[in-house]
Amino acid sequence: MKRPIPTAALILYALLLALGLGVGSAYAVLNGNPPFGSRHLGPWQTWPKLGSAEADPYMRAIVARRSDIPLATGEGLALTAQSDSEGRKLDSACSYRIGPSTPAARWWTLTVYDEDGKLAPSELGRSGFTSPEVLRDAQNGFAVVLSRTLSAGNWLQLPASGPFSVVLRLYDIPGAAGLSLNPEDLPAIERLECGA
Amino acid sequence: MSNLPRILLATLCGLVLAAGVHIAVVFMAPSFAENDAFGRLQDTLTEDQAQIVSSPGGGATWLPLPDPATAVAACAFDLSDGPVRVTAKTGQDFLSFSFHTKTRGVFFAVTDRAAIRGELELVVMTPRQLDEARAAEDENEPNRDVRIVAPQEQGYIVVRVAAPYPSERAQAEEAAKAVTCTVDEEEDEAS
Repeated sequence: MKRPIPTAALILYALLLALGLGVGSAYAVLNGNPPFGSRHLGPWQTWPKLGSAEADPYMRAIVARRSDIPLATGEGLALTAQSDSEGRKLDSACSYRIGPSTPAARWWTLTVYDEDGKLAPSELGRSGFTSPEVLRDAQNGFAVVLSRTLSAGNWLQLPASGPFSVVLRLYDIPGAAGLSLNPEDLPAIERLECGA
Repeated sequence: MSNLPRILLATLCGLVLAAGVHIAVVFMAPSFAENDAFGRLQDTLTEDQAQIVSSPGGGATWLPLPDPATAVAACAFDLSDGPVRVTAKTGQDFLSFSFHTKTRGVFFAVTDRAAIRGELELVVMTPRQLDEARAAEDENEPNRDVRIVAPQEQGYIVVRVAAPYPSERAQAEEAAKAVTCTVDEEEDEAS
């Protein structure tokens, strides 16, 4: 006949399991993006409640952990893209075209960040475009080209290698921020070609 | 009782408790965070002017994903010393204020559209300080302050100034630095 495991050992096991799993899972979640309340708009992702009083506990914990200062609802809305319009990860080895229009906003900025979230300034000291800066065509559309090598028009240089991300910030947008946006209003991210 | 059901029961208890631990950690994380924005802005508690967090055009900053086309400045406040008055001069370019609590997120935001004659002035106070200010008010001379009630005593005010063109960066940084956040003393005299 087997000897029974002491009850004290089982209690200890249950407590350690609770502590390990509870802290471990919380840590894993807090190191990522907020798990709830995100909106996907084409290639763009945003958390409209991040900068409001209705932010959920995960958002608050993640903002504190990142030492972030999110754009408040009423100030603007930040949309992040890590993949192109067809869902392929953004890669510095490829070139991309972003355009032709953005939702109505007082002004906007489009910025490229490298894998670590650092700015990736080009040799010309440029890491993004703003709405007054960008050159537009006759239909008032724009096309920002992202590539590692020089390109005509609105050109942003990509980091030397690895994945990157693009953040579109719409400042002073009318109405309920982010809740009334449609994927069609946002610029598309079109992959042009991939070099070696 | 044999061992297997007891182990299963212990595992189940462990899982249920783990869910509780997970929730507790997530809820407490903002209060215990030391490297959050409020923690990094501790120095500005006693300053009368906002401190630059992120300069336009890039440069060293602790702010993740800084926008190179805006100057971001901030000052922390602690309303236990009295209401905080924040003022900014607005120009042609976009300027916005956002008001954050230490652990409960954003409670108010305003842009330069609300400015009166090129000036934006707001007073942040606790509900109690608002009551006191109202009680001390002279009915014939209504106070014209724009008052905002903060849900928590500790927090920080962030100002963002646009620099759409690189040539405007220095000017935007100056505008962000010129924002003042002072503890309002008048309320004490009134009482």
